[in-house]
Amino acid sequence: MSALAPAGIAAKVTTAFADVQAKTTDNGQPFLLVPAAALPAVARFVRDDATLRFDAVMDLTGYDALKYPSTPSSDAIVVVYLLFSYQHRHKLTLKVLAPRSECAVPTMSGIWPAAIYFEREVWDLLGVHFSGHPSLRRIMCPEDWVGHALRKDYRYPDDYHGVLHLRDGQHFESSPPRGAVPVAVPPVAAPPGAVPPAGGAA
Amino acid sequence: MTIEAMTPNGERMTLNMGPHHPATHGVLRIVVESDGEVVATCTPDHGYLHRSIEKIGECIDWPLFVPYTDRVDYVCAMNANLAYCLAVEQLLATDAASAVKVPLRGECIRVLVAELNRISSHLVAVGAMAMDVGAYTPFLHAIAQRELVNDIFEKLCGQRLTYNYVTIGGVAFDLYAQASEEITRFLDQFEREMVRFNKLITTSTIFRDRCASVAPVSAAEAIAWGLVGPNLRGSGVDWDLRRDESYGLYGQLAVRVPVGQCFAGRHGKVGDCFDRYVVRLLEIQESVRLCRETLKLLPPPAVKANDPTGGYQADVSRQLKKPPKGEVHCRTEAPRGEMGYFLVSDGTKVPYRVRCRTGSFSAAGIFHKVMRGIFLADVVTVIGSFDIVVPEIDR
Amino acid sequence: MNGLGYGVDGLSHWFVGIGMPAWLAVTMAVLLLWIAPMLVVVFPIAALGQIFERKIAAAIQRRVGPNTVGLDGPLRFAFRAILCFLPRARQDRVFAAFCKLPVVRTILKVSQRLGLGQLVADGVKMLGKEDIVPSGADGLVFRMAPYLALVGAFVPFCVVPFTQHMVMLETSVGALFAIAVSGIVVVALKMAGWGSGNKWSLLGGMRAVAQLVSYEVPVGLAVAGVVLWCGSMDLHVIVGQQYQPGVFSMVGWNLLQSPFLLLLAVVFFIAGLAECQRSPFDMAEAESELVSGFNTEYSGLRWGMFAMAEYTEMLLIGALFATLFLGGYQSPLCEEWIVGLPVLLETFVHLALFVGKVAVTFLVMMWIRWTLPRFRVDQVMRLSWLKLVPICLVCLLGLAVTMVSSGGTVLGAPFGRLPASPHADLGLIGRLVAWAIPVAVVLGLVRASRKKHGQLHPALRQLTGGGS
Repeated sequence: MSALAPAGIAAKVTTAFADVQAKTTDNGQPFLLVPAAALPAVARFVRDDATLRFDAVMDLTGYDALKYPSTPSSDAIVVVYLLFSYQHRHKLTLKVLAPRSECAVPTMSGIWPAAIYFEREVWDLLGVHFSGHPSLRRIMCPEDWVGHALRKDYRYPDDYHGVLHLRDGQHFESSPPRGAVPVAVPPVAAPPGAVPPAGGAA
Repeated sequence: MTIEAMTPNGERMTLNMGPHHPATHGVLRIVVESDGEVVATCTPDHGYLHRSIEKIGECIDWPLFVPYTDRVDYVCAMNANLAYCLAVEQLLATDAASAVKVPLRGECIRVLVAELNRISSHLVAVGAMAMDVGAYTPFLHAIAQRELVNDIFEKLCGQRLTYNYVTIGGVAFDLYAQASEEITRFLDQFEREMVRFNKLITTSTIFRDRCASVAPVSAAEAIAWGLVGPNLRGSGVDWDLRRDESYGLYGQLAVRVPVGQCFAGRHGKVGDCFDRYVVRLLEIQESVRLCRETLKLLPPPAVKANDPTGGYQADVSRQLKKPPKGEVHCRTEAPRGEMGYFLVSDGTKVPYRVRCRTGSFSAAGIFHKVMRGIFLADVVTVIGSFDIVVPEIDR
Repeated sequence: MNGLGYGVDGLSHWFVGIGMPAWLAVTMAVLLLWIAPMLVVVFPIAALGQIFERKIAAAIQRRVGPNTVGLDGPLRFAFRAILCFLPRARQDRVFAAFCKLPVVRTILKVSQRLGLGQLVADGVKMLGKEDIVPSGADGLVFRMAPYLALVGAFVPFCVVPFTQHMVMLETSVGALFAIAVSGIVVVALKMAGWGSGNKWSLLGGMRAVAQLVSYEVPVGLAVAGVVLWCGSMDLHVIVGQQYQPGVFSMVGWNLLQSPFLLLLAVVFFIAGLAECQRSPFDMAEAESELVSGFNTEYSGLRWGMFAMAEYTEMLLIGALFATLFLGGYQSPLCEEWIVGLPVLLETFVHLALFVGKVAVTFLVMMWIRWTLPRFRVDQVMRLSWLKLVPICLVCLLGLAVTMVSSGGTVLGAPFGRLPASPHADLGLIGRLVAWAIPVAVVLGLVRASRKKHGQLHPALRQLTGGGS
């Protein structure tokens, strides 16, 4: 058991795969940007390599980069693979860009079975198609739901089986714009030993 | 024996277990294809409790999301609060200018409420599992104890289920007067009660035989399928984020981690339902110990709420208006295992993406694998032993 | 012929005397003297069992249980019905005056404390519910099943001797009759499961059939042991066989006659629990697994009939257990004196003793239900065929051997039948000494096997308060 530093892991992967780029996020978190086509090979490599052994998926998620100020490409869904090695106890973040026009990424369910469920969720909420997935169905929304809710250009459907998605005759998105709600300030000014709202001391 | 061998002519019956079924509590549906009493395939169907919490997270300010984390897992809302708040604090800490330091007393209170909530959450888990196996009485005894924890929480923050107590930078209120005495008194009687509880159900031969060797998950499988928390430890993987990736006060507490080791004896297997169940009971014991330790470390209250030692809440309102741009992944040990928040911030007061990874989600993911070839009666045992809390899956 | 028999005889003669055809006279007499009292007695007791159970469950779970609904509501209703010719205010005044009577006040208070009114309230609720027959159900089968279950549970009471003078049907095949007729319940549950047109019901029905059929075997074998010992299948004769003069009349009970009979009694009780679908054998209902099993689709009164059948069957198992192993209606001590009492008093004492014994078995059944988890299907079958049936067979063999050899041999004497003499009390001491040896051997074996296999994991020992 020997944990590798993020730089060491990145070096190992980038030497093995020329088209993988080591990058950092705006706040300095390292990640590897993997082209979708190379993903299965990279994944298998990081799982099977004796010094890496990323045997677990901590999380597999994504976000729509459409409105994010600075990402490599703003017209893509970013699929994020947060990997962890129980053997070496180190972490790795892989990112794959799935362009909105052709939103597909190879499935990881054959490499980490945990991905079966995670990928279903990403498909349901972000609309990334995982090619080769054994049962890529929606998981949260009903099967006949239109659209993928976590996309930044998502628009609530006007109705679902006759149930109108209107509030006071208006569409959801036209009700108060976000940011109109005042910022809640945590109760820093509460006096010490303040009596909680209910109950009271015994 | 394989299912195919047991069903010579392949005649199967499709059973809809849930959402209206006593063991699925109206929010989970499992489509079971069975050959008489033996389950051939099992397909969980989720979404009955989907409240688009992650979408809501993209629409409201950073601190306003805390009450929604209560609803991510309302059986251990304190831990769910804590997971999110720690993630936001970690995001703030990626820029030295915005980093916050939670006061020591606040850290102590956080551990205290998290461990108390872990106790109450595990009580629901073990009690409900006993009930699913057909013993109604232990459930009521467990719930009675959980009510006492809720009483303490009610005095602390006015709520019994969704607390909204842990905040970014600390906790919402200081401990009430006599809180530590009351918690100590609760823990004392609770330990005696748990001995009685265990004598009633844990050592019951029928119960052990019902759970032994049912749906065993090996350590490698558990890791590959993404099991976390007690389900992972039940399979014998010695891993606990409180100890191995300690956060908050846990680094000073020397958490002892129980792992599954075939508690059921010669009929059991490592990682079967009984191991998962016993690991939870041992964790309850450990949480009791952690609570006592934390009470010893608790510094006296200070006058100022943001006092670095005796305060309970650091000032974060400035930082939360303009948090650093970027992303962060932070995971904590909730009762149902790793609760990981993946946050993306675009530098505004509203999150760009809030992603919550929960323990029950991956536990539900392994259902269709472990439920093949078991008895119909075991399906509910397995659901109980994985401690599925459906709001966590559907969010 | 016993007291009831004479009564029926007399009544039917009188009926014939007033000009009734003979067949109608006998039928009427039987209905009036046998069946009506039985329904009047057994129904309320079975219903009371429900309240009894709720109170016991509450005590075990540290709850309060029903404690609010008293009998004053039903009483007021009864007053209003009887005094319907009076104005409302007058009725209420009379009722208030009645309630002030010290006896009535105490009864009302106690009944409220015990929640007895809950019984009436539940009954009214059940009567008021809609009788739903699902559209996919097989109507006739679905509707008939509850009646059949009730019949199967009630009819065996015919042969149970409540006291020496209260046997409805004295027949030489009493034990066989009881077991055979209660077998009808199997058909009823299967019909309910099949007729409901619900897969959960079907599974419950199938489980019920498999379980009941399997457990008839150990029940039958246990009864066979008693029959072998007593030399008769007539339950009244079996009770009579257990009569023992002297102070310690319970020495004569089958339970204490031979270690094999003791074992058979245990087997009978366990298998009896399974026969009446009680936890830990409540596979057929298995709330957390099969929703509610065979009675998932039943509502209102039909559901109530199933519940009633279940409690009646518990009473039946209790009654048979008392009859076969606990000396029936006989007193554990000084039976000789009770037999000497005037007939009415004797009947009363015996009835009280019998009901007491049944109540104790009832209590134990409830205690078990609220303590133990449920078995799984395969475990239930394994318990019956691999444990209970072999034990029964060994016991039968042992009984046969001791019965043959007890004619004076050293080995057989302590296990054989005690002579029915007033000085048999002395035999008790010798018997206790003789029993100590096999009991010690069995206990030693159990302990050895527990040491070998049942060793608790250290973590479990620590969880239960033992050293870690």
